[in-house]
Formats: sequence, structure tokens, C-alpha cells
Amino acid sequence: MTEHPLVEMIDIEKHFGGVRAVEHVSLDLWPGEVVGVLGHNGAGKSCLMRILSGAMIPNGGEIRVGGKTVEFTEPNDARAVGIETIYQTLALADHLDAPKNLFLGRELKTRFGNLDDARMHEEAREVLARLNPNFKNLRDPVSSLSGGQRQVIAIARAIYFDTKILIMDEPTAALGPSETAMVADLIRQLRAEGIGIFLVSHDMHDVFDLCDRIVVMNKGKVVGAHAIEEVSKDDVLSLIVKGELPADWSARNLEAAL
Amino acid sequence: MSDVSKPAGFYALKSLTPGAAQLHRLSALLTLVLLILGFALASPAFLSVNNSLTVLLQTSVIGLLGIGMTMVIITGGIDLSVGSVLALSGVITGMSVKAGLPVIPAMTLGVIAGGLCGAFNGFVITKLRIPPFVATLGMMLIARGIALQLTGAAPISQLGEAFGTLGNGALFRVVEMRDNGFPRVVFPGIPYPAILLLIVAIGAAYLLRRRQIGRHIYATGSNEEAARLSGVRVDTTKLYAYVMSGALAGLAGNVLMSRLVTAQPSEGVMYELDAIAAAVIGGASLSGGVGGVSGTMIGAFIIGILRNGLNMAGVSAFIQQIVIGFVVIGAVWIDQIRNRP
Ligand SMILES: Nc1ncnc2c1ncn2[C@@H]1O[C@H](COP(=O)(O)OP(=O)(O)O)[C@@H](O)[C@H]1O
Ligand SMILES: [Mg+2]
Repeated sequence: MTEHPLVEMIDIEKHFGGVRAVEHVSLDLWPGEVVGVLGHNGAGKSCLMRILSGAMIPNGGEIRVGGKTVEFTEPNDARAVGIETIYQTLALADHLDAPKNLFLGRELKTRFGNLDDARMHEEAREVLARLNPNFKNLRDPVSSLSGGQRQVIAIARAIYFDTKILIMDEPTAALGPSETAMVADLIRQLRAEGIGIFLVSHDMHDVFDLCDRIVVMNKGKVVGAHAIEEVSKDDVLSLIVKGELPADWSARNLEAAL
Repeated sequence: MSDVSKPAGFYALKSLTPGAAQLHRLSALLTLVLLILGFALASPAFLSVNNSLTVLLQTSVIGLLGIGMTMVIITGGIDLSVGSVLALSGVITGMSVKAGLPVIPAMTLGVIAGGLCGAFNGFVITKLRIPPFVATLGMMLIARGIALQLTGAAPISQLGEAFGTLGNGALFRVVEMRDNGFPRVVFPGIPYPAILLLIVAIGAAYLLRRRQIGRHIYATGSNEEAARLSGVRVDTTKLYAYVMSGALAGLAGNVLMSRLVTAQPSEGVMYELDAIAAAVIGGASLSGGVGGVSGTMIGAFIIGILRNGLNMAGVSAFIQQIVIGFVVIGAVWIDQIRNRP
């Protein structure tokens, strides 16, 4: 293991008027690690992830990448240090086609500074085919694509570039079973490459299948952070719903340790 | 592959495929041809060389305004100030010429003044977060007010022959001297305004299709939040569009005032509606993300020919207003239907 975590979030805070969306949250992520971020709707998961991706500016706290303090004022700042995000809303421009969306904000250009649409098309075709061999509608505006195809574009965009930290905010919400399995494979493959992943998910099966650690949020606070072996599904549900572990948890864990 | 997602049908219906955009442009082109045929039948003078030149001149002003308007509309905005900015720019050019500046630097100054008005629009919209409709409505009054104040509401005339060249000159014009000493135009040539419009149209189409800024203009209008999250500098992109619109309004002002060889502070009232109509008839969507230069050119010709043809047919100016008013509403109505899910 390297000396520093890939990223550390220290004492992060975000509020909207009276709403405390994120309160004193600290969190880290190491290379090749998948950390599940769980919690009710409105628990603050998306806000926390958006802060890390530079899309939202926190009211307080510190972010360190590779041990160095960073300040993100826009998404490009986070991308520049290798943080890629699949937003819950997907963040696609409806009237543009898949290649244009994939390279939006990072367009490939020719020697004369013109858009190199031919190359972008070719690159997009390759990376999309890797995620979904049936992806054919490269020239259609993404508004005409299915939810699953749109999600595939958002995923492709996040892994195409030099990614060190991947934030996935409910990446399988619009996917069918086979595509969900494909995303799970992808997560395992990226983990093996040493990429660190935050996975926001409601799917207990996915979480226990893929995550090394979980962090549970409730009303903006972290109410539990555990290695996946330490907890059962019931424990996690209790954290999500009640904000605390079942009363017998420590006793059970002590037993297991002995 | 299983796409169990709910939005599939919804998006498919809502989509505006490239095919649909082409279809729209084609029907606009057909309308244009029908208009020309109709007016030609109604009045034989409509197709005369002289009248064709008049149409071309009229259209080049609407076209220049329409191209800037198209960029703004694609970002999801609107620019109601172009008619007033056109007047202000022309006045500034005229005053500079009166002050002794040569024509080309004076015209450059006028265009820059237009660009500055656009920059102010962009600033108010992106930094003060004022909706484009209100911000540019304010500029409509501000620019008109400045133009009237600077001139005391009086036109500036006697600007010299060189000032009139842009609006009245032509490339490849062949004139022969007749025996009686009067010149006879053998070939009217290609008017400078038409050449200018062509150059600007090609330049703008290149920007929109082949350059990053163009891509970002479409992305911003399509989904501003998505564009921002994708790393597009949304505010800079919008600012760019409004500056372009202002500068092109300035250019159009110079063409028009040069044509009249007079700087008229009250010129260009309601021209913004012609520009908006040209863009929307050409397929630009007021909800953003859609539009193009070639469509707007067709739209500009439709408006230009409609105005001129109604004139030629002896329709009164009041009736003309009524017709154009209905055309604007009709064009926007079609846009609404296209965007309805
Ligand atoms: N842009 C915003 N403005 C105001 N309140 C917000 C905004 N974004 C999120 N919130 C509020 O912050 C809280 C956390 O939201 P979010 O992070 O989206 O939750 P989650 O992703 O865990 O469902 C919610 O109460 C939500 O209403
Ligand atoms: Mg969320």
C-alpha cells in the first residue's frame, strides 16, 4: 500500500440555508478499494460526492489528494487530478450524440484546433463497444436513446480518461440485469487496476458483492464506517434506517474475533 | 440487452433527430420558393434586377442580425437589444467619421461598440443572473437611449462617399459611359452587403460546427447543468454568444447606415423580431440546443422577401405588420409543437 490514501475528505460541511446536507464528514479512499456510500434518500450522499467532484463547493473542510490539499472550484479541477464522476443525473446534453457527449469539455482537436469528430467517433465506438457490444446508435442525439444506453455513455465518459478515483452515484439505477452485471465486472476490473471507487448504491446485493468498506450516512452525518466483513445486511439496514447498529452487534463481532 | 428504464419512450418521442431538423429546413426552403413564385406572379417587377438587389440588401441586414441571434438562441437565450445596438453602432461610426476618422477605423469602432453592448448583456445574464429576456430588454432601451442622446435624435448626414461604399457598392460591377455622358450599368455586380453576409455566414457556420466554442454553445443550450459538470465554461460560452450577437448587430448597423449614407439613431426599431423570426423559421429552438446558420439564412430570406413582396404588391405598412406578427407567432408555435413530448 502507498503511504497516502488516494483521497481524504476531512470534516466536510455543506448546508443550504437551514438544511444541513453534509455535516462534519471525514472519509478516505485507498488505491484498489471500493467504498460503498449508503443511506436514505436525502442523506447527503450526492452532495458529498459532488463536493469531491468539484461540482459543489463545500462550506467547510479539507480535501487532500495524494496527501496534498486541493481546492476545487469547478469540475475541471477535480478531473485534472484524476477524479471522474458518473453523476446520478448522468449529466448528458440531450441534443448531442454519444461521441460528442463522451468528449464534451475535453474535445479532441486536429492540428489546426478544429474539432476532430472523426477521431472522437472512432474512440467512442471502441470504448462503448467494450461496455456494450450492441451499442450502435452513435449518431443519434442521446435524448432518443434508452436509459440504459445513456447510462453506458456516462460510464464510458468516466473511464475513458486517465482515471484514478471513480465516483459512481447510483450507476445501475436505470440498468437491466445484464448491464448491471457488466458494470459489476467493470468495477472489479478497475479495482484490479488500482483505481479507487466510491460506489453510491441502494442495492445491498451489489454492495456486499463489490465493496471492501461501507460508509453509511444519515441526515448529513456518517453514522457508520465498517469493513464489509464486520457487518451483515441487517446491520447495514439498521444503520441506514435507525442510524445505529443493532444492540447485539459488538457482542457478535467480539465472538467472531475470538 | 434489456432496457428496462422508464424514460426510453419519453425520450424517443421528445427527441429531435437530425432527420427532423433537415426536414424542417427543407420545408422552410420550400416556403421560400413558393413565396418567390407567388410574389413574381403578383407583380412582374418583383423579379427585376433592381428589386432583387433591394431584397438582397434588406436580407443581409436581417441575416447578420439573425446569425448572432441564432448563436444566442442555441445557448437557450434571447437578444432583444439587436435593433437598438444596430442604431447605436451606426451612430458611433457616423460620429467618428464626422470627427475626422477614416471610414474603416470608424466602422471598426462601431462594431466594437456593438460587441461591448453584447458583453454587457452577457455580464448581466451570467454574473447578475438576470434572465436574458429582461437583461436584453434593458439593453434595448439603454442602447437606443444612448444613440438618441448622442445625436440629439437628429440623423447625421453628409458622411461622404466613402461611407456609402459598403452599403451601395458592388463587386464586379460593370458600368459603361453612354454618349450622352450618363453612365449605364451593364452588370450590377454582387453587392458588398451580400458578400459580407456570405463571409459572416460561412465563418459562423465554421465556428458552430468545427470549433470547440460552437460545440459548447450547443451543449450549454441543450443542458446547462450537464455542460457545466462536463467541464464546459458555461458563463464564458454565453458571454461569447452575446458578444457575437452585439458585434454582428454593429456590423448590420454599419451596412444599413452606409446604405442610407446617413447615421439614423431611430433606425432598426423592431428588427430583433425579424432576427428572431429568421432564426426560428430556420429551425432554431427557443428552448435551446438546436439551430444553425444555413437554416437562419433561409429564414432571413423568407422574412426579407415577405417584407419586400408585400411592399411590391402594394400592401400597406400596417397590414405588413399584421402579417409579420402572425408569421412570428406561427414560427414559434411550430417550434413549440416540435418540442412537445
Ligand atoms: N442544490 C441544492 N439546494 C438545496 N438543497 C439541496 C441541494 N442539493 C441537495 N439538497 C438537499 O441536501 C440534502 C441531501 O441531498 P442529497 O445529497 O441529494 O441526498 P442523497 O443523494 O443521499 O439522496 C437533501 O435534503 C436535499 O434536499
Ligand atoms: Mg443521490
